[in-house]
Amino acid sequence: MLAVETRNLTKDYDIKKDGKRAHLRAVDGLDLAIEKSEIYCLLGPNGSGKTTTTRLLAGILRPSVGGARILGLDVVEDASQVRSIVGLLTETPALYERLTVRQNLTFIANLYDVPKEEIKTRIEELINLFDLPEKIDLPAGSLSKGMRQKVAIARSMIHDPPVIFLDEPTASLAPESAKVVRDQILKLSKLEKRTFFLCTHNLFEAERLSTRVGIINHGKLISEGTPTQLRDLKKDETTTVFRFAVWDDVIKNFFQERNYDVLDINPERKSISIFIREIEKETPTIIDELIKQNFPMFEVRHEYPTLERVYLELVMSENLPRNQEEEES
Amino acid sequence: MKWRRIWALVKKDLIEFTKSKYVLSAIIGIPLIFAVLIPLSGLLPITSINPADFEGDDTFPDFINNLFASTVDDWESLNMHAQTLIMISYLMFVMVLMLPIIIPAITASETIVGEKERKTMEAILASPITETEIVFAKITSSLIPSIFATFVAAGGYMIITDILIFPFIGQVLFPDFLSIIFILVFGPMISIVSVELMIMISTKVKSVRDSYQIGSLVVLPLIFLIVAGMISFFFNSIATLIGGIAGMVIIIVILFKLATNIFNREKAIIKMT
Repeated sequence: MLAVETRNLTKDYDIKKDGKRAHLRAVDGLDLAIEKSEIYCLLGPNGSGKTTTTRLLAGILRPSVGGARILGLDVVEDASQVRSIVGLLTETPALYERLTVRQNLTFIANLYDVPKEEIKTRIEELINLFDLPEKIDLPAGSLSKGMRQKVAIARSMIHDPPVIFLDEPTASLAPESAKVVRDQILKLSKLEKRTFFLCTHNLFEAERLSTRVGIINHGKLISEGTPTQLRDLKKDETTTVFRFAVWDDVIKNFFQERNYDVLDINPERKSISIFIREIEKETPTIIDELIKQNFPMFEVRHEYPTLERVYLELVMSENLPRNQEEEES
Repeated sequence: MKWRRIWALVKKDLIEFTKSKYVLSAIIGIPLIFAVLIPLSGLLPITSINPADFEGDDTFPDFINNLFASTVDDWESLNMHAQTLIMISYLMFVMVLMLPIIIPAITASETIVGEKERKTMEAILASPITETEIVFAKITSSLIPSIFATFVAAGGYMIITDILIFPFIGQVLFPDFLSIIFILVFGPMISIVSVELMIMISTKVKSVRDSYQIGSLVVLPLIFLIVAGMISFFFNSIATLIGGIAGMVIIIVILFKLATNIFNREKAIIKMT
């Protein structure tokens, strides 16, 4: 059984545009199949449909077309059950500011029917996990933005859900806190087989955490795969950097005479970046020649396209007009 | 309906009310005004007038005499000064019954539109709680401060009024059967109607300010309803009373159905964004 499965998942919103009624397609025919214990990361620019997708999968919104299942439960037919087995960290992790951290967590635990005798233990576990024991009886409004985010993450896990949706989980967290959150996600996924569905702009996080990444734009899934598979989409754009102990223009001439595509020359760093068509075949040859000519080379490295580069290129190339908006007759 | 979830939401709202200076000052301050300022400002000037100045050939119209004769012991034997004090005491008591309308306008706006404004509603909507449970809980949490405030204000009003007018009328006016029925039965019912209307308004608007403004338009017809109800009960107490209560119960049930139909998870989340 899949943890998350969508078939042609589509969501239209009624909006007013120039005084006329229109509808906006926020999610457009999304097909996802996410296995249990996966960490699936949905990347996309603002307004691309990430939050709407999360809300559809969490059973808060109803799809206009298509459908989705969470651990076999239909998000429309079994919406209440779906909501009880998923955890959701919302885009704006608003807490009840006048209530203490403990009161915030107890309130949500009661809404999810967490057994009364387990609530205290569960709260203490989560509070310790996110390093908040001294803040537990303080009003949530007195906490820093990062601490509130931690409480909001703890809130999304209070009922021990097998599937967890996190919208920008490490936004506003300090690096050390963000690491704690990332480590916990990895731990819960690997050891407790929980499924995570993350929406983020943080490409480093996506690369570091996810088993698979989906890139969404204008409500459509434009690419999907493991971070390596996505990076490989631009494999032919890998550059090779040579660094030398001493710089001399002879080095530049060496590469230019042999008609390599020189991308960058940096005399200050004593380095040159070139594009090699067949990396595995040509790199050893170049190194041999450089050594033969006694160039004081001390570093050779390949710079593979990052997920960020792949993401940006995919999203930028998708600069089609939003043709999803259709005025109602 | 799962009572645990409802109680969790009610409890959370009540804690929030007690920690909100605005709501707390309204729940405490407004009843104090009704309990103390209204009887003092309305009755003290009349008590200071010499009863002899009221004597003359003039009497109240027959319908007023009939109205009070069926409610107040020995109405005909009282002098004009005492009758005036009793009449004003009852008229001002009607004002105390505005509290079950005013307080819910504040609490219900705060609890639904406030949650939308602060975006705390999404965590509730993401949980397994049903729409009916949310509406029921919000009605209950808005109702409790209103009933509490009405009881305190009515109690205070009755004590102060009795102290002020006893020397002139020679009897304890409040509480009588009619005032007890109004405070214990009719007041809470009016409160429920007011809360239900405010919740219906709150689900439709985006800001607390809009909720107050539209809510105040709904409050006015309710005040007329109370005044009309009060006067009609004077004329024909028991039969009209039972009919009035039955009518209110029907209104409450219909409004609850409407409120649960209007409150929609999807619309609530879309209005927040």
